Amino acid sequence: MTTDKLTPEFETFQGELKSFILRMTASVQDAEDIVQETYIKAHAKLNTFRGESSLKTWVFSIASNLARDLLRSKKRWPETVTDICREESLGNPQFFQEALQIRQTSPQGNFEIKEHIALCFTCVSKSLPLEQQLALLLKEVYGFSMKEIASILNQTEAMVKYYLHTSRSRMIEVFDQRCSLINKQGICHQCTELNGIFNPKQKAQEELVKIEMAKDAENKSKEELFDLRMKILQELDPFESGAAELQLHHLEHNRQVMEKYLGE
Amino acid sequence: MNQQTNPKAVTEKRMFRRETTVSVNIEADSSIVWALLTHASDIPRWNSTVVSLTGEIREGGAIELKSTLDEKRVFKLKVKEFVPEKRLVWGDGMGSRVYSLDKKSNGVLFSMSEKIGGPLFPLFAKMIPSFDRSFEQFAADLKKEAETIQGSKK
Repeated sequence: MTTDKLTPEFETFQGELKSFILRMTASVQDAEDIVQETYIKAHAKLNTFRGESSLKTWVFSIASNLARDLLRSKKRWPETVTDICREESLGNPQFFQEALQIRQTSPQGNFEIKEHIALCFTCVSKSLPLEQQLALLLKEVYGFSMKEIASILNQTEAMVKYYLHTSRSRMIEVFDQRCSLINKQGICHQCTELNGIFNPKQKAQEELVKIEMAKDAENKSKEELFDLRMKILQELDPFESGAAELQLHHLEHNRQVMEKYLGE
Repeated sequence: MNQQTNPKAVTEKRMFRRETTVSVNIEADSSIVWALLTHASDIPRWNSTVVSLTGEIREGGAIELKSTLDEKRVFKLKVKEFVPEKRLVWGDGMGSRVYSLDKKSNGVLFSMSEKIGGPLFPLFAKMIPSFDRSFEQFAADLKKEAETIQGSKK
């Protein structure tokens, strides 16, 4: 691999890399910084790349290490993150003013329920232990194989299996208890609640039938519903979607609330 | 010591002590079994004998355990030994629980024992419930979860 080949190949997966780091850190600034730092490191260490894995796997390994370095000293978020952030936002009229401004003026200011489902997952998955969150995203959202994840995380495949099984089980349980889209007893209705605020003329039920996970909730197993949730994330680029600016504003709000809540 | 597929606990009773032991062969990598035994927050998910477990399972770590043996009581325990993928010991002044892993060609032999006792043991021995069924369930849950993970392709 030569340096003149690195740049065009890096560019083919740069978007995925940036969204992966965003979903790890919940920070646009950190995502941008880590992607840039990853490129610089990859460039500087290119002579150590032996081609034993794909360049993409090798680069994701560099980025994962940088994300780990950043996040290791930070506390994990609670599973109730969205409840805590909702309460804070209700006492913060500026948050809604800014959001409505984005909704009205930005070309990326739409509100779509499935975009909020992805944002919700980003926040809730930060309650998993760091290695589990990394493994889960790499497998379920970015499609890496067990072997590739073992290489990225510098772990055995057995441990990757452990991380994936445990993190999936945990997230399935959390969403089953919380998400009213898949369980009528679910305690969280934020996506439909926000849809009512940002799209007042739209009927939430009509929107929900467009989302496979919500439409088929009664006929699918918890495992299948989780796979459908992951499909939503796979198909969404949080920087490029029609709701990107609104959702990133919301994510930044949640990150700031969590830092305050966790005393960071 | 029993080394069975279906775990069967054995209790040895003496005047001043009681010791319960269970063993089971687990067809999974020792790192998986070790991870299951030491990730405290995840243990209640797969282990039906544990109601709650907080704290960190690491050398010198302190944990608080609520077991189905007595759900009203919180056991405050210290991790006394922590040898990755080999041996874990926690306990309090009353006794110690020892977990050991012995690597085999097709997985690992898991053993768990708990010894309780002391000079006053005869006075309260009858008040302490039998550990046998709880130990058997613990070992069966661990085996099931570890082998499920080992076999997972997802």
